[in-house]
Amino acid sequence: MHRENSRPAARYGLIAVAVLFLALFLVLPLAAVFGEALSKGATAFGSAVTEPDALAAIRLTLLVAGISVPLNIVFGIAAAWAIAKFDFPGKSLLISFIDLPFSVSPVVAGLIYVLLFGAQGWLGPWLRAHDIEIIFAVPGILLATIFVTFPFVARELIPLMSEQGRDDEEASLSLGASGFQTFWRVTLPNIRWGLLYGVLLCNARAMGEFGAVSVVSGHLRGITNTMPLHVEILYNEYNFVAAFAVASLLALLALVTLVLKSIVEWRFDYHRGGAGH
Amino acid sequence: MIGIDNISKRFGSYAALNDISLDVRSGEFLALLGPSGSGKTTLLRIIAGLEFPDEGQVSFNGEDVTGLKVADRKVGFVFQHYALFKHMTVAQNVAFGLSVRSRRQRPPKAQIRARAEELLQLVQLGGLGGRYPAQLSGGQRQRVALARALAVEPQLLLLDEPFGALDAKVRKDLRRWLRHLHGQMGLTTIFVTHDQEEALELADRVVVMDHGVIEQVGTPEEIYMKPSSGFVSDFVGETNSLPVSVVAGRPQFFDRAIDVEVAPAGDGPARLDFRPHDVSVCGEGAGCLPVLVTGVYRRGGDWRIEGEVAGVDKPLEIDMSAASSPPQIGQRLGLRINRGMLFAEGVQQ
Repeated sequence: MHRENSRPAARYGLIAVAVLFLALFLVLPLAAVFGEALSKGATAFGSAVTEPDALAAIRLTLLVAGISVPLNIVFGIAAAWAIAKFDFPGKSLLISFIDLPFSVSPVVAGLIYVLLFGAQGWLGPWLRAHDIEIIFAVPGILLATIFVTFPFVARELIPLMSEQGRDDEEASLSLGASGFQTFWRVTLPNIRWGLLYGVLLCNARAMGEFGAVSVVSGHLRGITNTMPLHVEILYNEYNFVAAFAVASLLALLALVTLVLKSIVEWRFDYHRGGAGH
Repeated sequence: MIGIDNISKRFGSYAALNDISLDVRSGEFLALLGPSGSGKTTLLRIIAGLEFPDEGQVSFNGEDVTGLKVADRKVGFVFQHYALFKHMTVAQNVAFGLSVRSRRQRPPKAQIRARAEELLQLVQLGGLGGRYPAQLSGGQRQRVALARALAVEPQLLLLDEPFGALDAKVRKDLRRWLRHLHGQMGLTTIFVTHDQEEALELADRVVVMDHGVIEQVGTPEEIYMKPSSGFVSDFVGETNSLPVSVVAGRPQFFDRAIDVEVAPAGDGPARLDFRPHDVSVCGEGAGCLPVLVTGVYRRGGDWRIEGEVAGVDKPLEIDMSAASSPPQIGQRLGLRINRGMLFAEGVQQ
């Protein structure tokens, strides 16, 4: 307390720097996005986000997020459970693998799939023989998105579940609960806020991913374009209003995520603090 | 009755339990006592079915349960840190064991609720069912954990360091209350503790463990008065040790014969242990141990004297009745050991 009050100049100076930085690099661009999107009026905005290609991009983005997020919830919980509650050989290796998508450039992630499933890739001939399309099609986009978003849920849950230990689960089992009852009634409630937090981050990334998806998508308008890819195409065509209109939807998603994230963080802290010793 | 036959358990290269055998009688209050790393908690978890032995057999009433999971053993387990479900109210916690039963075995909701309240009354927490664990004190949480374990009507109650996380006053109250509850419910109870005072006060029988083996099993009286090894003598109660050699069955301390009542031991190097209160002052005569007083302080109704003996590193601790006036620091005393225990040196830990 004493130290905080003794140097008001330093304190206000730091706050000013932080606010200025945020305004310059975050608020201003965000305002520009919405400003540009609405520069030709609400009608132009409306038609830009409702034209068939834009709608197709929105639909694809929702589809990809709708599949990859639930899958990563399952993977994430399974991986975090295994790592946090059991000891097994290769555990640290598994942790490193989970972190891999964070350390690898998304473009490389996309290229991995091209290398595997592309026409010239290892499995390309076989796939073509069986008439299965992965690269330049929805499955490829899905795979790339799952790869990039994999760590979010697991990373959020591992420290939380490690900290909680096995006592609660063992107590539940000793009282006669089955494994499923234990998971549903004890484990899941214990991790729900951390899980929700991870899901939000995972979802935001799934909808906003550009690099990995760009490599595997093929940019077929109305077919394999997600929202971020659609924005780029419109922008390259000097269709600024439409580009910024679709971009503003993504920005809106970011803002909603941010608000939800704050609420979850608040609840999360409350529960952790309230449940402590 | 619970039978534990030749149980061994390793964690990697570490032997947590080494060929343990033990019988627990029905209705008994049994303490597993030992320092950390002695294997006492591992043994408790094996009895519960939370851990499985590498070798050996566990049986309940003659029935082999070695392969049974914890859910199928009908045991109540109370964890050291209680492991209460923090998102549930106290009543929901207590009712958990009944509410997870399959539909056919599950009592109706109202009955479960009544049973939970009844158990909360039993652990003297009636009316607190609506609270959350975070709103309770440590002692209250402990009792909720106990009520929750009792709700499934176990034959056997297992407690892992039940008072470890509580402060001294609460601990003492809870101890008495638990002893009372054990008698009232007619359960078989096994608890793990590193606190010898707790074990001696509560248990019908005490199992002293060290390094994965059982050092001694006996009543508190036997454990305290007739420790079977130097380790038990040292770990249970306060002990002074003198290095002696046994000649013709009698202990000698640096060629000085010590006049002490001991069970005879084989000749050779040995350790003579005695309790602080098992001494009296004698003159300079033969058989008396010369001690230099280095400290005196009051300890309840006694004087606690710290004294040095030539040739012994650790100062002796001696109790003298506070009815007499205490010796002065620097004074020399002759001590007679009224009762001692001899341990051949090989046994010493």
